[in-house]
Amino acid sequence: MAPRWILKLENIEKDFVFHLQQGTRIVVFDRFSYLFFPGQASILTGPSGSGKSTLLRMIFGTYKTGGGHIWVRHRGRGVDIAAAQPARIYTLRRDTIGYVSQFLRVVPRVSALDTVIEPLLARNMDLEKARKKGRALLERLNIPSNMWHLSATTFSGGEQQRINLARGFIAPFPILLLDEPTASLDLKNRQIVIDLIKEALADNTCVIGVFHDPADHRDFDDHTIDLSLMLNQEVMQPCTQKN
Amino acid sequence: MTRMPENSSQPLLAVTHLSKFFGRQLGCHDIGFTVSPGEVIGVVGESGSGKSTLLNCIAGRIKPSNGSVFFNSSAGMIDLCRSSEALVRKIIRTQTGYVTQNAAQGLKMHISAGGNIGDKLMAGGMRHYGQIRKMALAWLERVEIDPDRIDDMPATFSGGMQQRLQIAANLVNSPKIMLMDEPTSGLDVSVQARLIDVLRKLVSGLNLSMVLVTHDLAVARLLCHRLYVMKQGEMVESGLSDQILDDPRQPYTQLLVSSVLKP
Repeated sequence: MAPRWILKLENIEKDFVFHLQQGTRIVVFDRFSYLFFPGQASILTGPSGSGKSTLLRMIFGTYKTGGGHIWVRHRGRGVDIAAAQPARIYTLRRDTIGYVSQFLRVVPRVSALDTVIEPLLARNMDLEKARKKGRALLERLNIPSNMWHLSATTFSGGEQQRINLARGFIAPFPILLLDEPTASLDLKNRQIVIDLIKEALADNTCVIGVFHDPADHRDFDDHTIDLSLMLNQEVMQPCTQKN
Repeated sequence: MTRMPENSSQPLLAVTHLSKFFGRQLGCHDIGFTVSPGEVIGVVGESGSGKSTLLNCIAGRIKPSNGSVFFNSSAGMIDLCRSSEALVRKIIRTQTGYVTQNAAQGLKMHISAGGNIGDKLMAGGMRHYGQIRKMALAWLERVEIDPDRIDDMPATFSGGMQQRLQIAANLVNSPKIMLMDEPTSGLDVSVQARLIDVLRKLVSGLNLSMVLVTHDLAVARLLCHRLYVMKQGEMVESGLSDQILDDPRQPYTQLLVSSVLKP
């Protein structure tokens, strides 16, 4: 039996129109289709500007899809992110799709530990149980325990990124989107993150990632998707629509 | 962002085709939006775009020229613009809270902090003094005001404390929705951060809905699930907060988002 996809891109289209810059229009995806499966790592490659981060953000629902469908298997049912109501996207993000961005969006006055366990609390996990899990993960990521109760505002770039990663890995997600998760990490911490990703894969998570360092690609060479091959992002044309 | 609300089929509040003209001057025009239980909605746009007019129409403080404000009360969906004044007042008093930018307008400045909270509790039907005082103390603690200040006049409070007191006084009767007009404007950034933190905790702990009018996009991103963008009285764009702020489509939204200084 053929494996069941967990994420299906169907003829997706995406363009950006910059109204404040002479209506410049940039086409990033033009009817792009792809299937993703559980337990599979997919690495997006291509020069900067080829749409790697854009694709992750479209799957997460941050970027609106111009055309086509982004089907996600959510609690056994196909849901089209490109057309989903906000309430559905809230639950998708809580239960099905995790996303680790390049930078942590720090909330002042919220401790690093509480930042990390937020996804667990959103799933109604008991506070003490969640904190216990959070402490274990922070320890694993080498964040000193005397920093756990501090807001991450003053943390270094690498520390903030590890907080961000802890937040992404604390709760299991069927689909995990990673945008340069190892960019600001030293070798030791980089290896820990690679191990976390491998554990998620063994747990049947579908991982889709963009990696800054080509060396990371070797660690999971299941699949690379070269976005520079599908597009023509050089094509820039003035938009006909006047503002 | 604050915790995601649970799925819910029925909106708590639905505004349809709402317009308000002040004589020939347009306040807001043909506005439509919904708020689900537990959802925090931000209304953003520059000064004079009609944000506060819209909020005041919802709060029953201004009578709209046209359109409806449906509220999901125990008796079903009630159009606040077409119901008896007594019913509308009752719904507004028991189910909604209203926080203004200027705390001095929302508080009684000549009675104590505890009195401001107690006043609302008594309006809600509570009579037992000990009980009222106990609840006032609990609420002061919840909004991070030193309970020792319960007998002090709000005039002796800092701006941030007044604002938190105003929020507490509005929440004691457990409204379903809070309507807030620029609650963080005019406060120091550190004080703002504390207020935002208090609001985040309250919203996720109480499954409270909120309509937040603000021109501060960073505050909007932090607190709101969805945003509506207003320009010259019209609603120009709406969507999830991260969609609006990271992938704005309309020329005006792009201008708004690109005009912000990032510290």
